Amino acid sequence: MRELTFREAVVEALDIAMGKDPRIFLLGEDIGYYGGLFQATQGLLQKYGEDRVMDSPISETAILGAGIGSAIVGMRPIVEIMNIDFLPVCLDQLVNQAAKMRYMFGGQCKIPLVVRTTCGAGRGGAAHHAQATHAAYMHFPGLKIVVAGTPHDVKGLLFTAIEDENPVLFIEDKMMYNMKGEVPEGYYTVPFGKAAIRHEGKDVTVVATMRMTHKALTVAKEMEEKGIGVEVIDPRTLCPLDEETLINSFKKTGKMVIVDEGHRVGNFGSEVASIIAEKAVDYIQAPILKVTAPQVPVPYSPVLEKEVYIPNEEMIRKAIDKVMEYA
Amino acid sequence: MAVEVVIPALGLTVEKGTILKWIKREGDSVSKGESLYEVEADKVTTEVESPASGILKKILIPEGVEVPILTPVAVIADAKEQLPEKYVCAAVGPKQEDTRDALQCVSTHAPRHGAATILTSGPGEIKAPPAARKMAKERGVDLSSIKGSGPGGSILLKDVESFVATGAQGGPRVLATPTARKLAEREGIPISAVKGTGISARVMKADVLEAKTAPKAAETKPVSRYQLGQVIPMNSMRKVIAKRMAQSNFTAPHIYFFNDVDMEKLVTLREEVVADFEKNEGVRISMNDLIIKAVALSLQEYPLLNAMVSGEEIRIFPEINVGLAVAMDDGLIVPAIPRADELGLGEIARLRADLVDRARQGKLTLEEMERGTFTVSSLAQFDITFFTAILNPPQSGILTLGKMEERPVVKDGQVVVRKMMRQGVSVDHRIVDGAVAAQFLQGLKKKLENPYYTFLSR
Repeated sequence: MRELTFREAVVEALDIAMGKDPRIFLLGEDIGYYGGLFQATQGLLQKYGEDRVMDSPISETAILGAGIGSAIVGMRPIVEIMNIDFLPVCLDQLVNQAAKMRYMFGGQCKIPLVVRTTCGAGRGGAAHHAQATHAAYMHFPGLKIVVAGTPHDVKGLLFTAIEDENPVLFIEDKMMYNMKGEVPEGYYTVPFGKAAIRHEGKDVTVVATMRMTHKALTVAKEMEEKGIGVEVIDPRTLCPLDEETLINSFKKTGKMVIVDEGHRVGNFGSEVASIIAEKAVDYIQAPILKVTAPQVPVPYSPVLEKEVYIPNEEMIRKAIDKVMEYA
Repeated sequence: MAVEVVIPALGLTVEKGTILKWIKREGDSVSKGESLYEVEADKVTTEVESPASGILKKILIPEGVEVPILTPVAVIADAKEQLPEKYVCAAVGPKQEDTRDALQCVSTHAPRHGAATILTSGPGEIKAPPAARKMAKERGVDLSSIKGSGPGGSILLKDVESFVATGAQGGPRVLATPTARKLAEREGIPISAVKGTGISARVMKADVLEAKTAPKAAETKPVSRYQLGQVIPMNSMRKVIAKRMAQSNFTAPHIYFFNDVDMEKLVTLREEVVADFEKNEGVRISMNDLIIKAVALSLQEYPLLNAMVSGEEIRIFPEINVGLAVAMDDGLIVPAIPRADELGLGEIARLRADLVDRARQGKLTLEEMERGTFTVSSLAQFDITFFTAILNPPQSGILTLGKMEERPVVKDGQVVVRKMMRQGVSVDHRIVDGAVAAQFLQGLKKKLENPYYTFLSR
C-alpha cells in the first residue's frame, strides 16, 4: 500500500471530506494562505477558496465561538487551535458551551464541531507550545477526544470526527506529522472507542498514546527477543475509551504500564489505572506504572526536553522491568 | 564531662543487642549503678547499669533497635553541661534492614517521648497483589503460609500457584462446597479441620455444622500448634539456636561415641539418699544431678573435653561448668551449673532446679547461659535409645543420654535383667581424638556404675 506522512493523511482527509460535504469549512490561525503552522491544511485554501478555508484573527475565543455558533445552525465547522497550550484561552467555549449545550438545551441543538489541535514536546517549544494536556479534557463530559497514533488512523478518525454529531477534540501529535505509514486511498473510517492492539504479548500490557505507541513498540520488539511478551495497546480515542480491550488484555497479563506524554498527575494513565483497579482488581499482579512527563512545565532546554522530559524507550524499559519483577 | 553509655559486651559470642526498654528517660537524673535500660542479646534480657552519675542527657538509640555491642546508646552529663555537637543528631545507624529510616535526627528540643519513630512492618503484615490474594482465597490457602518471591517479599500469583501445585507444603486442597466454605469461614472453623462426607471427601454444609456442634471431639486430638505449610518467622531464640548450631556443625568436625551403662547401682544410690536430701536440704536429687556430678569429675580427668578452639590454640577452661540442655516450648536453652566438680550433690540439685525453673520462665542471666564449658543433653524421658548432639559452641564435648530401661544383659555367663542406659558423647575432633573420647566415656561409665566410690572418693 502507498505510504503517506501523518500530515499528508490529515490534509487528504480534510480534502476528501470537504469535497463530499459543502457544509464543511475550516477556521483557524494561519491555516489558509500559510497552510497551517504544521502545513496540515496545505493547499486547501487554493482548492476550496477563502469562504471555506478562513484565516482567523488571533483569538481562540472567536475561533471556538464561531465554530460553535455555525455548528448549531447546521454547518460542519472544523476549527484549528494551533497548539493545545492555547486551548485554555477558549476553555469556556469548549468545555462549558460546546460540550454542554446539547444537554442543557434538552437536545434542541447539537454541536457537530471538530476542534483540531496539536500537542507534544520535542521542538524546543517550551512551556507554552509543547504541552500534552489532552488528559485534562477527559474530565469534561460532552467531549470526544481523539489521539491518533498512525497516519492510517488519523485519516480514518478524522472522517469519523467530522461525521460525529457532537463536539470532538481532535489532537494531533505534532512530532508525528512527518511519520510515514500506509494510508488507504479514498474514504474510510476508524471508529471511536475501539483501541488497536499494536503488538501482542502475554506478560505486560503497555497502553501508549500517540507517538508513545511507537516508542512502546520499539521496546516491545526488544523485549520479545528476551522472551517477555509486551502487548501494546493504542487507545486511539480517550473519550470514548475502549475499556474492554484494556481490561481483556490486563486479564491476560495482570501487569500494566501506561506511557503518555502528559504530566504525571491526572495523567491519562491515572484514569486507566483507576479503571483497572475498579474493574479488574482481582487480576492485578503488580503495581500499575505510569511513564509520563514529569510534573513540571515543559523545559526549553533541548537537552532537558529530550533526556528528562519526554518519555523515552529507556524509561519504558525500566517500567516494564519493574513490573516484571512481579512475574 | 559527658560519659557515653554503651551496650556492654554481654558474652563471649554476643555480637549485637536490642534495646528492649529505656528504664530512664532523657532528662532523668541517674546515679552510677542504677539501671538505665534493658538489653536483649542472644536469648537473655539484661539490665544495664549507669556508668556514671548525672543527667541522662540524650538517648541515642531508641527502644526496639538492634545495635552492635559497644555502640554508644546514651550520654550522661552534668545538668549544666552542653553536649558536644556529635550527640545532638544521633548518627548511629542500625544495620538491620527493617529499621532503615528508623533513626531520625532528633533535636534536643524535641519532645522526649516518641521522638524517634521506628517504621517496621508489622508481624502480621502480608504483601500480596490482589491477583495473588484472590487465588489464595479461592484455593483456601492461607497467605501467611506462603513465602513471597516478589520485591520486598511480596507474594506473587506464581507463589500461590506453586504452593497450590506442590501440595506438599500446603497439604492437598480441601474439597468443599461453596456453602460449606462460607459457613466454615463465618463460624471460624478451618475447612481443613472438617471431615468431609461428600464425594471425594468433599466437605458439605452438614459436615461443617457437625464440626461446629462437636468441637470437643476435635479438641481431644493432640493438635500440633504448627500447621502444614505454615511459615514461622524465627524469634530471637530460634535465630540464635540456628546460628550457633550451624556455626558449630560447620566449624567443629564432630565424632560420636556410645556405650551402655548399667544404671542399677546409681538408681539404688539415689533411692537411698533422695529422702534424706529432701528432708535436710529441701531439694530432690534427680538422676541428672548424679550424672552431672559424675561428668564434672570425669572432666577433671579429661580436661580436653572441657576446652575450646581459639585460633591455633586449644584453651582449656579454668572451670568446670556443666550445662544442662533445657527444652522450651519454642527452643532450647543451656544454663550451666558452675564448678560442678567442687559442689556437693545438694548444691547441684538446688542450682539445677532453680536454673531449669528460670530457664522455662526466660529469666536466666546471660552469665548463667554463657558460662557452660561442657553440656549434658538428656532425652531420657522420651522413648529414645540413643542420639547424637551438635556441640554447644565453643565447647568441645556434649554428653547425650537416652532412656533408661530394663534390658537383658549377660553377667558372669548369666542373662540378667538390668536397668541400662545408652550414653553418647560428641566431641570436637580438632581438640579431642577418638581414643581420648573413648576413655572419657569409659571412665564416665565406670563412675556411674560404681557410684559409691565415685562420690565418696573425693
